Amino acid sequence: MKIRITYLGRRYQHAEVLPEQLNLADGATIADAVDEVNALLHDTTLPGSCLVTVSGEHVGSVDRFTDRALREGEELVLIAPVAGG
Amino acid sequence: MSRHGHSRTPPRRPGPLQLSPAERERYDRQLGPGVLSEEGQLRLKGASALVTRVGGMGGPAAQMLAMAGVGNVIIAHGGEMISPDLNRQVLGSENVLGQPRATEFAAYLRTMNRMINVEAIDHEPDDAEAFELARRCDIILSCPPTFAERLRLNRSAVAAGIPLIDAAQWGMTGTLIVVRPGQTACLQCVYPNEPPFEELFPVVGAISCATGALAALEAIKILSGTGKPLFGRLLTYDGFVGRPSVVELKRNPNCPVCGHI
Repeated sequence: MKIRITYLGRRYQHAEVLPEQLNLADGATIADAVDEVNALLHDTTLPGSCLVTVSGEHVGSVDRFTDRALREGEELVLIAPVAGG
Repeated sequence: MSRHGHSRTPPRRPGPLQLSPAERERYDRQLGPGVLSEEGQLRLKGASALVTRVGGMGGPAAQMLAMAGVGNVIIAHGGEMISPDLNRQVLGSENVLGQPRATEFAAYLRTMNRMINVEAIDHEPDDAEAFELARRCDIILSCPPTFAERLRLNRSAVAAGIPLIDAAQWGMTGTLIVVRPGQTACLQCVYPNEPPFEELFPVVGAISCATGALAALEAIKILSGTGKPLFGRLLTYDGFVGRPSVVELKRNPNCPVCGHI
């Protein structure tokens, strides 16, 4: 199963090491996808406050989200919180 | 500036709320179909907005509110203007380097529109002051650098039952969250744990200005009753790759700030 992935917010270098899509086993969940992303980041992990959205639906943040099975072609968007004045 | 760190233009005599000939002339280009009705413009005139802080995003936001005719614009920002501010802080200039930001920025805003009141607060409001300000405002535009301050403004807006617009930036990315207390997710719902503070974040002034202007546009829509505000949604514009996105934010029924409403 292929899903699209987008990383927004801080740390563009994260985006540079992330592919535009993930290949996951059929039946994989959002948690599986987040784990896969963390594995790709090697020396760091996604911040716990990073927002998680799937196909436009806000499901929580990396440290607390409502898990569910992903479907072929869905888009996982990870939004690292930004502040800045 | 008073001993409490506030300054304001002398209050005008209250009168029946109507547009003067000078106001009608000033706002002519924003009155009509697809923009504001005369009633909406009058609502702006009678409205009070708090913008804190007024740097890269809050500055253009406050400027747009002032130019649009929001009757009372309250700005809060501490410290003095320094050179690195000038890549994005449009209310300042080379001429005011070393000068207090709040005082100078308020003076500039008054030169943009003599028909409104501008109040200046020379520091970031603490909990008590933020609650007090929220009670006498119709909307809060949250533009500070830290999540601690943003979450404080969110608590104040929710307690007062007024909308909050949170504008944020990093690099070439800008985000907006528009909160309607009790009806949409609040900032605490979205960030139950305070994200870390990054003191020296990179930023290009163009995204600051664009994000601040969009925050002001949302405020103008809400205050005037025009258009469809972004209530309950997160707008992100990733300028690095030129990608906008909008996400409907989920309320947290157990949110300690708005869960009881």
